[in-house]
Amino acid sequence: MRDFKIAEPRTADELAALLAESTESARLMAGGTDLVDELKSGVATAGLVVDMDKVPGLRGITAEKGGLRIGAMTRVVELAEDAAAGRDYPSLKEAALSLATPQLRNAGTVGGNLCQRPRCWYYRDPQVVCRKKGGFNCFAYQGRNKYHAIFGGSGCFIVFPSDLAPVLISLGAQATVGTAKGDKVVPLGDFYAGPEVDVTRENVLAKGQFLKSVWVPGPKPGQRAAYVKLKERSTWDFALVSAAVAGVVKDGAFTEIAVVMGGVAPVPWRLKKAEDALKGKAVSKAVIRQAADEALKDAVPMRENGYKVDLVRAALERAVLAAI
Amino acid sequence: MNSKDYIAEARGGTTRQAAKPKPQAQAQAAAAQPAAPAKAPEYKYIGKPTARVDGREIVTGRAKYTHDIKLRGMLIGKILRSPYAAAEIVSIDLAPALALPGVMAALKLAEGKVRYAGQQVAAVAAVDERTAEKALGLVKVEYKTLPSVVDWERARDAAAPQVRDDRPNVGKLNEYARGDVEKGFGEADVIIEHTYRTGFEVHNPTETHGSVAAWDSDHLTVYDSTQNIHGVRDGLARAMKVPAANITVIKNYMGGGFGSKLGANDYTVAAANLARQAGRPVKVLLSRRDNAVCVGYRPSSSQTYKIGAKKDGTLTALQLTNMASGGVGDGDDVAEPAVDIYRCPSCKVFEETVYTNTGASRAMRAPGHTQGAFGLEGAMDELAAALDMDPLELRRRNYSTKNLGDTGMPYSSKGLDKCYELGAKAIGWERRNRRPGEGGGTGPLRRGIGVATSIWFGAGVPGTLADIVLYPDGSVEVICGTQDIGCGTRTHMAVVAAETLGLEPKDITVKLGNSDYPWAPASGGSLTTPSVAPAIRDAALKAVERLKAVAAARLKIEAGDIVMADRKFASKSDPAKAAPFADVYRDLRRETVFHGERGAMPMDQFAFNTFGAHFAEVEVDVETGRIRVLKYAAAQDSGQIVSRLTAESQVVGGITQGLSAGIYEERVMDDATGNPVNPNLRDYKIATALDIPEITVLFADVFDPRINNLSVKGLGEPARVPSSAAIANAVYNAIGVHVREIPMTPKRVLEALKRKEAAS
Ligand SMILES: Cc1cc2nc3c(=O)[nH]c(=O)nc-3n(C[C@H](O)[C@H](O)[C@H](O)COP(=O)(O)OP(=O)(O)OC[C@H]3O[C@@H](n4cnc5c(N)ncnc54)[C@H](O)[C@@H]3O)c2cc1C
Ligand code: SF4
Repeated sequence: MRDFKIAEPRTADELAALLAESTESARLMAGGTDLVDELKSGVATAGLVVDMDKVPGLRGITAEKGGLRIGAMTRVVELAEDAAAGRDYPSLKEAALSLATPQLRNAGTVGGNLCQRPRCWYYRDPQVVCRKKGGFNCFAYQGRNKYHAIFGGSGCFIVFPSDLAPVLISLGAQATVGTAKGDKVVPLGDFYAGPEVDVTRENVLAKGQFLKSVWVPGPKPGQRAAYVKLKERSTWDFALVSAAVAGVVKDGAFTEIAVVMGGVAPVPWRLKKAEDALKGKAVSKAVIRQAADEALKDAVPMRENGYKVDLVRAALERAVLAAI
Repeated sequence: MNSKDYIAEARGGTTRQAAKPKPQAQAQAAAAQPAAPAKAPEYKYIGKPTARVDGREIVTGRAKYTHDIKLRGMLIGKILRSPYAAAEIVSIDLAPALALPGVMAALKLAEGKVRYAGQQVAAVAAVDERTAEKALGLVKVEYKTLPSVVDWERARDAAAPQVRDDRPNVGKLNEYARGDVEKGFGEADVIIEHTYRTGFEVHNPTETHGSVAAWDSDHLTVYDSTQNIHGVRDGLARAMKVPAANITVIKNYMGGGFGSKLGANDYTVAAANLARQAGRPVKVLLSRRDNAVCVGYRPSSSQTYKIGAKKDGTLTALQLTNMASGGVGDGDDVAEPAVDIYRCPSCKVFEETVYTNTGASRAMRAPGHTQGAFGLEGAMDELAAALDMDPLELRRRNYSTKNLGDTGMPYSSKGLDKCYELGAKAIGWERRNRRPGEGGGTGPLRRGIGVATSIWFGAGVPGTLADIVLYPDGSVEVICGTQDIGCGTRTHMAVVAAETLGLEPKDITVKLGNSDYPWAPASGGSLTTPSVAPAIRDAALKAVERLKAVAAARLKIEAGDIVMADRKFASKSDPAKAAPFADVYRDLRRETVFHGERGAMPMDQFAFNTFGAHFAEVEVDVETGRIRVLKYAAAQDSGQIVSRLTAESQVVGGITQGLSAGIYEERVMDDATGNPVNPNLRDYKIATALDIPEITVLFADVFDPRINNLSVKGLGEPARVPSSAAIANAVYNAIGVHVREIPMTPKRVLEALKRKEAAS
């Protein structure tokens, strides 16, 4: 690990100012479960580490405008154990409990989870300089890619690793971004950007900006949601493929529906075609299969990740059936 | 240590018996065939559950591992490793590193070509870790990269870069033949032929490799995380050109090795050289990444079995071809199970190894046998299906009582039949699907039950030494230059000494883990207990004889009339005549040492092997390819069990490791970078506690005094050999198609199901 300076701002404004003015490469630290690992292994370097822990008002879950506001510094365990969140958004609780391990959920934050860096094994190898790290090649494309993207890859085929992101997007969450010029709000779905926008980043945060909180709208009457995570082992595993489904059900059919997949694309991946195919139809296995077929027309599997196509079918079917 | 040397050790230090024993030896063997062996004596501690004597030290963190060693003035050594799979080293410049304040020594460790990523290039020793790390970054190495290949399938191409200067990329590994396989296949009613593959399994012990080296004038002391203190001492003596008598190797506690810590390692030699240069002790610890690149792994295999059988299941011919790969070293010979375990008149084996630009493989828990059991036992199950036969019945039909497929020497004892019986009952064998895949299951979930068999060596090494020291104050010490690598050796040593001397295990002070103590073999090959326990028994019996004589003098009775129990010496005929232990020990007047030795066994007349049968029940999700092991029963013939609790732990560990390798673990190599892409514990997936099922451990408790004076055989590897295979066979029983490749990841299970769909 290289030497770095550490700053502990005491207000959100001070934090934004520090980030905006820093001439060194500055990295935000929330719980540090991902960042410190990157620094130690040499995948990331930082001149300045900005610790968010002392900034007041960033941690906690509060009722707001009929929905819930979740501060970026809220620990994942706090979200998993929050009574209101558990009651109104069971799929969110499911996702929070499914991620990583108890130790990581105790230390890791919601903001850190939503802004975590990819797990592509080439990216995580300090000896490899791939496109995401400013190099010229994507090693996964021709190389070992069983955990990589089947949708939306464009020069970089990472999958976005967060379990919380697909669920929050399916629930219509909005992100509040802190900047030196005040806060701005974007739908969480638009917070993420694929490699075609900037291969070195996964979200739209510009220099000096940070994620302050997310707001989840209150559940609508008849709202149903589910999260299904397919993984290799029982715990301590990122999703091979996951499906977050949320919508409003009337007479056995979705009148509104959002389907967001994890583990399949560089960003949480919305299956618009599947949503269209499901909307308004009485849910049955045949209808779901058709919806999956439609959505999978866009899939471009590589040499070793074709099995994810089957997993998308399974995850989608299970999530839709669990929701309804 | 490579697998070949390892297996030679595991056989008790003798070479393989000729395929056909001399007629004379055969006649002798027949004559020596005993009537049913006598029963095991009634023991008070042996075979009973005894809590680990070092349990408290371990769980309270007081046990000192190599990583915990801190010596006065100790420096931290770090090793620079080649990032390239093949390169010519043009130059190494240590000067900038040596110029950094706090750096006390630096070494060049390579010249000419490096042949794998992770190979040692240079080393530094500095006052602390940060300085050493910085110094490593300052070492200037100029490489000229060369073409390399790390993918073993590509390495076979004629166009692939040549890995070793001295030979082509594919070389012969092993050949064996008996009988006439062509004739055998001609006589067969059914012939099956399939290929089974096993991947690269990394040892990944909890405690990574490491050594601390310290010189005291011309004496070198090394604290090493090793399974073989005497072997490390001898290896260091050769490498350092120091008399073995001037080297002491110490290892008190260890967090596992699984075969990757069996000799003097290059980094240990580097630590000793750095320490000599700096004139201060040096500690070198390897990283988790190092564990994936430079200290071995289980080599891959691609085994094709062709088996012929009569309608009733009688085997007529067995043919195996294997392509193994062990990096710049050899792969494993996997033929032993095929050659030995089932009665079959003809057998033919041909094995090759493929060289790649990856670190050399090392022996890993039952090298060769584990891969071989997966292949052979998978093929036996597919044969059973082709014959429409119960897989267990097929195995019983071809049961052998002599090695080499019933054509060699008689097994001194073989409790495999009892293992089948015990295990089948515990798992509920009758609940399996009568034909593979023919079972029910709700929705996408399919259940199945499978069995697999193991054979391994593990009768121990004759010549192992141990001492018992009796002190006049009544204390008792047992000393042996063996090592406890985490399996509970301390406990079994205390149990055997206490049992024989009429004391309790807690009364015994156990000393081990020091190469100055009496010789014992490497803790590998499942040799430790069957080597060490008999030596201690021998020493203790001698002590008993002496003590009885002393007690007889004190009590004025015949020594033959004395019983030792409840911390007393008493007359059998007149129990009133008794003396407490302490008094008799005091009569010894000075400390007294009794030397014990593990005696020989008639290896020219009998084959000595361990056996086992494992049974697994699984549930497979046919839509996601995910396997869950629901229930597991393991039955082992390891002779007399010495310490039942630690023995059960061994078996649970073997199953856990086999489950993990069977479903999750695989080192993934990348040709473009020449490196593994998952040299960590996040992407190299090891089973978690939540993945482990309910496990029943059973012992056949076979008594066979020909093995040694306690009838003990090894257990560590037998518990691992059939575990991946049993799970794979259960998956086959569940879904009706054999996955034929481990680890059975969701990807491979789904691909197998597609193969089944395409076939039907
Ligand atoms: C072994 C392991 C297994 C895991 N398994 C899973 C899993 O199954 N599912 C899953 O979803 N996650 C998983 N994770 C990820 C884990 O949830 C994250 O490490 C954690 O949530 C990150 O939180 P943190 O607060 O520690 O973030 P940090 O490590 O502090 O930060 C992570 C990254 O986000 C940036 N960042 C943090 N907060 C903000 C903010 N407010 N605004 C802008 N940028 C910010 C940091 O600069 C850094 O780059 C796993 C992690 C590990 C180490
Ligand atoms: S997928 Fe992206 S992160 Fe991975 S190697 Fe390719 S460019 Fe790098």
